Amino acid sequence: MRENEGAFQQRGAKIVAIGLGDVAYARQFREDSKINFPLLIDEKREAYKVIGLGNANLLHMFRKDNAAARKRAKAAGHRQVKLGKDPFQLGGSFVFAPGDKDLFVHVSETFGDNADPKDILNAIVLPGSTTKSA
Amino acid sequence: MADTYSSKLAGMTLPDPDGKPVQLGSLWANGPAVIVFLRHYG
Repeated sequence: MRENEGAFQQRGAKIVAIGLGDVAYARQFREDSKINFPLLIDEKREAYKVIGLGNANLLHMFRKDNAAARKRAKAAGHRQVKLGKDPFQLGGSFVFAPGDKDLFVHVSETFGDNADPKDILNAIVLPGSTTKSA
Repeated sequence: MADTYSSKLAGMTLPDPDGKPVQLGSLWANGPAVIVFLRHYG
């Protein structure tokens, strides 16, 4: 997401990350990752639960799609520094618009199942254009 | 109001690393917002 922050902003969208953990952990992450966009902390996992973001299990590590995702991430220069509060928690990516409209929804089904930034970008409606539905 | 992901989250408030509370719905009240739920920090 860091790499695409500028592209999102050019389309008039802000980017916000939400993570588990506590304040100290989030501060350290913010410093280590040097992200410029806002970071929020869901220490009690309330937001994750309300939208049904699930958990993976050890068997997911052996899935072919996970192996492929790890290979892609490694080739792109990404590396996992910490495991975090819950290494099995899965994430998701969304684009929301005024009026509580969902323009894009991607709920991860396993570790490497991340949304394609191009799809996220395409979902962002430019100001003055017709609103799309997810 | 349809039961959207955004409507489920809009009323929730989460703190930033400085402890400042942020109501999630305010993030997309005036324009689109990309919300990324991280698997982990790191």
